[in-house]
Amino acid sequence: MDVVKTLGKTLVASPDRQQEADSDLAVVKRVQAGDVAAFDQLVVKYRERVYGVVYHLTSNREDAADLTQDAMIKAFQSINRFQGQSSFFTWLYRIAVNSTLTHLRKQRLRTFFSFDKIDEDDHVSAEVIAALTDATGADRETFARELQEKLNEAMLKLSIKHRTVITLFEIDGLSHQEIAEIMDCSVGTVRSRLHYAKQLLQSELQAYIRR
Amino acid sequence: MNMPKKTTVTLEDLLRVKRAERPPPEFWAQFERELRTKQLAAIVEPRPWWAPLIRFGTRAARYQLPVGAAAVLALSFVTVRQYRGDDYEAVVASPSIAAIGEPAPAASVGPDREAAPLRAPVAAERATVAAATVSDVAVTGRSSHTIPLPTVTPAVSEPTPSARYIAANLAAAQADNPNLVNAVFGSMMRSADNREPVRDPLAQISAPGESRRSRLLASALGVAAPGDLAAPSADRVSRRLTEERLYDSISRIGVQGDRVAIKF
Repeated sequence: MDVVKTLGKTLVASPDRQQEADSDLAVVKRVQAGDVAAFDQLVVKYRERVYGVVYHLTSNREDAADLTQDAMIKAFQSINRFQGQSSFFTWLYRIAVNSTLTHLRKQRLRTFFSFDKIDEDDHVSAEVIAALTDATGADRETFARELQEKLNEAMLKLSIKHRTVITLFEIDGLSHQEIAEIMDCSVGTVRSRLHYAKQLLQSELQAYIRR
Repeated sequence: MNMPKKTTVTLEDLLRVKRAERPPPEFWAQFERELRTKQLAAIVEPRPWWAPLIRFGTRAARYQLPVGAAAVLALSFVTVRQYRGDDYEAVVASPSIAAIGEPAPAASVGPDREAAPLRAPVAAERATVAAATVSDVAVTGRSSHTIPLPTVTPAVSEPTPSARYIAANLAAAQADNPNLVNAVFGSMMRSADNREPVRDPLAQISAPGESRRSRLLASALGVAAPGDLAAPSADRVSRRLTEERLYDSISRIGVQGDRVAIKF
């Protein structure tokens, strides 16, 4: 089942994605024509996803909010140069990821955690936390906080490029091809980085993995 | 609500927990306000004059590898070419070319353009480049090349049949009527008799190595044999010594009394 999911994610452009890209392009053309308010539609549509990527890369909610806003403004300022060669979503992601990578390189020696809460309504995370606490008998809320810290610590042990790949693939659900476009590298490089990042995370989070 | 019990936890499951980290809904209201403020500030704030330069630099950065490689290649090409040119000129024009040692086997060189300026300026005589006696051309520098230095030795010309015929006629005429011959050819014959024998200009030029060897020997033997004795002894020794032996036997550092002399 996982294999099928993975294969599905690696498909280059699904019909849904294509339809989405076309509708985005129409909005972009309106903005380029002078309808500045139309850009708000794009902001509302993508702000959570962009914020999510930036947050998982930085593990700091304030930095993530600032970087997401900066990415949106950069996209707004440069929208006249967008020619539709890639989807707007890929273009926006590239701006956000590049800004975040620049920020992370500047702040390499200063890392502050500032977490968002785990969404209690998310069933999958609730199941995982339940499975782990049932085995240990620990308090769920305390355990969830501890797990969150360990997850973020493990993520920060990855290099910036590996962290970006694992965030875009495993957390944001992008395909290899889309990640390659965003990171401006080959699909093979993306796969290789993904494999290495997973190996490292598995060794870091060995205590929480149950087989 | 009954949730199916999950027994296995994989890395992907743990990352799903991370995915569930989300900001509360009120966060987005504040986000919207801040974004609006920044957006207005960005519209009002003029873009700096150097902003297009940054964009140009970013685009040009893509070509830094091929441009750098081309520059290195061009530099290498120019350097190698310059190096070869200097070397060749140094070999041709260097006065430190010494012709010493055993003579090389004679090579007959035709009347080509290298030998042409070296020919003896005797128009009537047929000059023949007999041999190029250059051996062991030592060149100071990184590489040693052997440059043939042709020395032209005018061969003793055999009288041609016409010359023999003219000479016989002249002798017969002189025997029959010496006064007439003297009146007609007297001045020419006298000037020919008084004329100095033609000397090869190359024979007058001493080899560069010769002068250097003489200089070294003169300085080395100057104390032991001052005055006129130095030159003949230097000549004798130089005939017997090779260049290598010269360098072995002569030290560049000499101590005389309270002085230390270093020769460059």
